[in-house]
Amino acid sequence: MSDASSAISIRAVRKSFGDVRAVDDISLEIAEGEFITLLGPSGCGKTTTMRMIAGFEEPDAGTILLRDTDVVGIPPNKREVNMCFQHYALFPHMSVAENIAYGLRLRKVPKDERRRRVDEMLEMVGLAGYGSRRPGQLSGGQQQRIALARALVNRPAALLLDEPLGALDVKLRKAMQLELKRIQHELGTTFVYVTHDQEEALSMSDRIAVMNAGVIEQLGPPRQIYEHPETPFVADFVGVLNGLDFRVDEVSGEDLLMRIGERERIVAPRAGVDVGQGATLLVAVRPERIWLRGEDATFEAHASRITGTIAQVVYLGTLTQFHVDTALGRRLIVHELSDASLSEAHEGDHVTLTWAREDSAILSDTV
Amino acid sequence: MNVAISARGRRALWFSFGFLLVFLYAPLVILVIFSFNDREFVSFPWQGFTLRWYQQFLENPFLLDSLKTSAAIATMTSVVTTALAIPASIALSRRRFFAKGLVSGVLLAPLVIPLVVLGTALLILFNIVKTLIGIDFELGMMSIMVAHVVIALPFAILTIVPRLERIPVALEEASRDLGAGWWTAFRTITFPLLAPAVVSAALISFTISFDEIVLAEFVGGQTTTFPRYLWSQMRLPRQLPQVIGVAVIVLVVSAVVVMLSELLRRRTDTALEASTTVFDDDIGIPTNEVVSA
Repeated sequence: MSDASSAISIRAVRKSFGDVRAVDDISLEIAEGEFITLLGPSGCGKTTTMRMIAGFEEPDAGTILLRDTDVVGIPPNKREVNMCFQHYALFPHMSVAENIAYGLRLRKVPKDERRRRVDEMLEMVGLAGYGSRRPGQLSGGQQQRIALARALVNRPAALLLDEPLGALDVKLRKAMQLELKRIQHELGTTFVYVTHDQEEALSMSDRIAVMNAGVIEQLGPPRQIYEHPETPFVADFVGVLNGLDFRVDEVSGEDLLMRIGERERIVAPRAGVDVGQGATLLVAVRPERIWLRGEDATFEAHASRITGTIAQVVYLGTLTQFHVDTALGRRLIVHELSDASLSEAHEGDHVTLTWAREDSAILSDTV
Repeated sequence: MNVAISARGRRALWFSFGFLLVFLYAPLVILVIFSFNDREFVSFPWQGFTLRWYQQFLENPFLLDSLKTSAAIATMTSVVTTALAIPASIALSRRRFFAKGLVSGVLLAPLVIPLVVLGTALLILFNIVKTLIGIDFELGMMSIMVAHVVIALPFAILTIVPRLERIPVALEEASRDLGAGWWTAFRTITFPLLAPAVVSAALISFTISFDEIVLAEFVGGQTTTFPRYLWSQMRLPRQLPQVIGVAVIVLVVSAVVVMLSELLRRRTDTALEASTTVFDDDIGIPTNEVVSA
């Protein structure tokens, strides 16, 4: 098994339900051992894509390869992938051990080995000794672990997870995120994870495919997705977005400049963008990259600087959110860590907002 | 659920409930009383307790034969009906197909077709089969069984479908995903979870067939089923007390059967409920163990 080979190849796959194009020409190479997340709002085609990999739906066009074998037309029971279902789908009439052993029994794994592997899995998900219980006697988090064990015990080529943490409360969800990541790391199994929760996607994935209306909008590592969104949809869906219409007034070295006032301007990086004076772009700035300063903040080179008035202060716990009306005629959202220095800032205060050149992300499809 | 209600309203409700109880059960109570009355004629005064009517019917070969016949027909009806109802219910609740509404209407129609109409129609049908198609058979147990399947099928389907709809499709998908073909998935997952409803459907079909008289009259030929025997004995007053005795036995047995199937259904229903309830209350790790993150 070479690292370069794909665990799953999705090539030009399409799927419609009636008039609705659920998946519209998607191609995706998923590497062996990768943790990839399909992220998007409901109806974006992420679940349909996963169900096509599992074999519950067949594509209208295109091919799906599992470890270089074309699996289109092969029923789910003959595919080397296993799935964790949204509501766990544990078999209520079987014990926990019987649930986990189900796939092994169908593969006619001898009894002794079966028992050994079931115990191994229970140990790994932290539920050793729970084998004789019924799923109905377990909490949501425990059921989730059993569902995971039941899928992983078969040593699948890839594990498909369909919003597995959706039914859990926030605290438990965070703990399970770490658990999933640990288990994936331990086993080295390819994980394909479907979620609409951007935080979940950012915290666990090696790569994220952001999906919208049946297509992949952007594919990349979490940091790249978050910091360099390529489309307005990605910028908006992943995190809070400040979108700005950016008019190129001046090109100076590596800076693209938009002048607003005498000491006010927005700076975007020129890197790789071939634009001249007078062009208009869409630029996105993350709220936590903006510094909230006093009115008399110093002028820094290569940085955006704009003045405004605080319209609203929203306390979020770790962060405090400021809504600032600016000279752009647009309200910007700023996140600051909630420390003592901020208790001074009130609604109606005049402030200066600054951010570094690299924090102005140019949304590529506006170029 | 407690709905606010005035004292007068409550009294009115109790009154109507009492009236309903008397209305429904007084005839049955009278039946039980007279089955123990030591008198040839079914009327008061009470002349002392006896079990002789029960003894008499146990020694009546015609009555026992009719009981056996009805039991045999009811057993066949129950097996055939259930065997047909399971796939029909799966199709109705799990699949999408052309004219599904029409198909479900056709399957459930016998619920509202008058039995005399159905009886006439079936009699004509059997004659056509005999004369036109040339399959030679006598009207009897088989034809009664077919007729009973027709009327029992909607009840069986209406018992199985609701249960099937409460079994998440994801369970079958999980089974397929873990390597089961559709038959294995049905055998190991769907059927065991459906079993209580299947048992209920079989018992209901059995009782429907066992006390059915109208269709048996139409298509039964010379075969004497238990209800037909009872009916024929009504003309002979001297036989009446022992007929009442049998009636009481049948009453008790069917009441017990229905209660058992209902109990079974409730217990397994709560089991299914528990399995699909999700608790969010704890983290899922036994507290004395530390799981490294």
